[in-house]
Amino acid sequence: MTQTIYDNIVYLLSLVGISFGDSIVPKIIIVLFIAILILVEVSLMVMFFTWMERKVLGHIQVRRGPMITGPHGLLQPIVDGIKLLTKEDITPKRADKWLYFIAPLIVFVPSILVFIPMPFGQGAIVSDLPVGILYIMAISAISPVGVLIAGWASDNKYALLGSLRAVAQDISYEIPMVLTVIGVVLITGSLSMQDIVLAQGEKTWFVFLQPLGFIIFLIAAIAEMSRIPFDLHESESEFVAGFFTEYSGMKFAFFFLAEYAHLFGISAIMATLYFGGWQGPLIPGIPVVIMSVGWFTIKVLAIVFFTIWLRGTVPRVRVDQILSIGWKVMIPLALLNLFITGLLVAGGVL
Amino acid sequence: MTETEEFTINVGPVHPSTHGVLRFVLRMDGETIKDTEMVLGQLHRGLEKIAESRSYLQFVPYTDRLDYISGMTNNYAYTKAVEDLAGITVPRRGEYLRVLVMELGRIVNHMLFTGTLFLDLAASTPIMYCFRDRHNILELFESLSGARITFNYIRPGGVRGDIPEGFIDKTRALLKELPSRIDEYAELLNDNEIVKMRLKGIGMLNPKDAINYGVTGPMLRGSGVSYDIRKDDPYSVYDELDFKVCTRNECDTYARYVVRMDEMRESLHIAEQALDAIERLQGPVSTPYFPRIFKPVRGESYSRIEAPKGELGFYIVSDGSEHPYRVKIRSPSFCNLIALPQMVKGLKISDLVAVFGIVDICLGDVDR
Amino acid sequence: MSTTDDVKNRFEEVVVETYTQNDGKEGMLIKKESLVDVCGFLYESGFDHLSMISGVDYVEWMEVVYHLWSYTRKENVVLKVKIDRSMPVVNSVTSVWRGADWMERETYDLLGITFDNHPDLRRILLPEGWIGYPLRKDYDLTIDQYVIIGEDGSDVVTTDASKLLRKEVLHDRN
Repeated sequence: MTQTIYDNIVYLLSLVGISFGDSIVPKIIIVLFIAILILVEVSLMVMFFTWMERKVLGHIQVRRGPMITGPHGLLQPIVDGIKLLTKEDITPKRADKWLYFIAPLIVFVPSILVFIPMPFGQGAIVSDLPVGILYIMAISAISPVGVLIAGWASDNKYALLGSLRAVAQDISYEIPMVLTVIGVVLITGSLSMQDIVLAQGEKTWFVFLQPLGFIIFLIAAIAEMSRIPFDLHESESEFVAGFFTEYSGMKFAFFFLAEYAHLFGISAIMATLYFGGWQGPLIPGIPVVIMSVGWFTIKVLAIVFFTIWLRGTVPRVRVDQILSIGWKVMIPLALLNLFITGLLVAGGVL
Repeated sequence: MTETEEFTINVGPVHPSTHGVLRFVLRMDGETIKDTEMVLGQLHRGLEKIAESRSYLQFVPYTDRLDYISGMTNNYAYTKAVEDLAGITVPRRGEYLRVLVMELGRIVNHMLFTGTLFLDLAASTPIMYCFRDRHNILELFESLSGARITFNYIRPGGVRGDIPEGFIDKTRALLKELPSRIDEYAELLNDNEIVKMRLKGIGMLNPKDAINYGVTGPMLRGSGVSYDIRKDDPYSVYDELDFKVCTRNECDTYARYVVRMDEMRESLHIAEQALDAIERLQGPVSTPYFPRIFKPVRGESYSRIEAPKGELGFYIVSDGSEHPYRVKIRSPSFCNLIALPQMVKGLKISDLVAVFGIVDICLGDVDR
Repeated sequence: MSTTDDVKNRFEEVVVETYTQNDGKEGMLIKKESLVDVCGFLYESGFDHLSMISGVDYVEWMEVVYHLWSYTRKENVVLKVKIDRSMPVVNSVTSVWRGADWMERETYDLLGITFDNHPDLRRILLPEGWIGYPLRKDYDLTIDQYVIIGEDGSDVVTTDASKLLRKEVLHDRN
């Protein structure tokens, strides 16, 4: 097993002379601290993404994006957050109150939970689960349930149709995604995220070993992140705001956070599976943990930049086209990729 | 065999992609549109009634509010009807100036069309590009008329004022720059695979139906009918200008979009010729004297022009007093919209947005 | 040979009079009973574009004016029918041009001219229940009419200002 954040904290504490034996309370405190650390990390990244999206999209579109709040609008996400928190939280009269309340949480919580086995850097992982990638795929499959509940509980036709679209899309693109991940797992021989990163250190980035798989994963990932051209979750020109049409205030903020946390999560998975994760050339003198987290962040940001670039370039695909691409093109190609990879691995080439 | 239940969905009057206050009542089978009903009139301001209590000159600003995207052509259509009614002729330099601003107005309209169409398809970049370039043209209009949207510039007897100093140079520079900008849109959009996926093969309207519905303008030319009032029933000085009528035979939304892209280039070509003529010709841009109390002879006139959205007509009945007895507006948006239910039948709701965008209506023009 | 002559030759005693608009367009006043026949004939002879239908209220009588255009012959022609103001009824030409549908609805809406055989003659710009026809010369402009949302969510026209939700917009009308 590789080092985890927990190990590192214990090590750091022992350096300054604090150590504890078998007592449970300090352990719980450390674990809680790690949980908060991850939440803060995700929130900061989400805030940065929203700012980056506005800026990058602005510059693509010959404008400057937010400029008023802070230097180059850097404080814009905070202002947005305050706005969302202070808005009135409306529940429609005929909504199913309990489900309406719980749906944002069902969407939000899994989008944070996927970060548990995520290797942010060398030694910067919450828990290196032996079934890491399987766990991530399983957890991220929960959020469509929340989407469906949100659409149904709102008692709004736009929301219902939007949620049906979103769920149809999520489910159809999860299959090619998992199938391509199996290709990576076959090469690595392990489901652990950290092992996948280390295997790429030994061989090379899997984007070179699995070019077809990478392209399929990329397209499926954009669909899973519900980014343009596959943003049927929102489809604002048809269904106003898709499944969260009726949501406002804090509940809307949860959906918003979940969407960007999802963006972060899947970009992180992509960086880990295909771009060597936290690996990169080290500069002597700077601690490995910091360097590796830096490389990882750079890779994630590059992928996020790509999705924003895509958003600035193409329109949205129609719902039946998305589904037919998913089932008729992506899944057969993913199976082909799996078949070729299997042959090559069995033949000892990879 | 699964059974599905039809349901109605209400799109509008306040909705992101209805470009104003139009309401659709859609009868849906899942995501497929079975039937479309449109509820109009949310923006009805009774302009035709207002006209009856205004003088001929006072009504010109109201025409700006018809299709508030291309005010210049609206001004002209009304003005031409009044001039036909009273037999006023305008100096040639004035006519060329009118043609110049109308063609620039057409470009403005098509830019806004391109932007909003792709915004409805969730591509947010084209509208920014289009607004950037539209702004430059509006600056020119502002220097001419003092306004950016509601110009009140073309009026019976000519235009409101001669061109300001430096206008010709500024316009020439802009006309030189715009082709590259239009190429930029074309590069981004025309061969974009997803644009083709979204626009090709939907919203079919064959030439026969298009004519029978009374569809006009780029909508008709996208159905392969080569008809342009500027060419077929020339008004102003269009018979002295060299330009092509842009048509496409595919009859789908993509064809109608490309027709508009081509039209922008043709309009630039016309505008260049008009600008040359303005520079070459001497003399006034308006008739020397237009009476303050203007009473045309009894009678009636009907003038139609090729507005950016289609055929814009004004029917004016005069009873010899200073108010028009009756003004009837034939607005292209209203007449083109009637074909929409047939165009979207059996398509998905996402296609409704695309087809509706391609009809290119302005609710001020529909409801009047 | 002009279009009016064609019509005269084809239909006897239908053209009441011919006239020229101030802008030089040929027009003819025809009997309203044979409107659809004449339109059908003109459609067959190339006038395939119905540019506009407009109604005019001349206080003693009403007129419906049809401006036609031929894509093939590139000619204009204007048709006019005179109708009784106390019973303003005319046949619908939707069977010839489908585009006439909304134009006739609009004329019905704003002038109260009824079109027989129209597939769906309802008000189009004004809500159902609007009092009076605005483009008639005797339309009462002093009545304030408001559109409110009825019990079942549909638009309801009322003259009772107290039913409005936003009362402050009301102004004293004296």
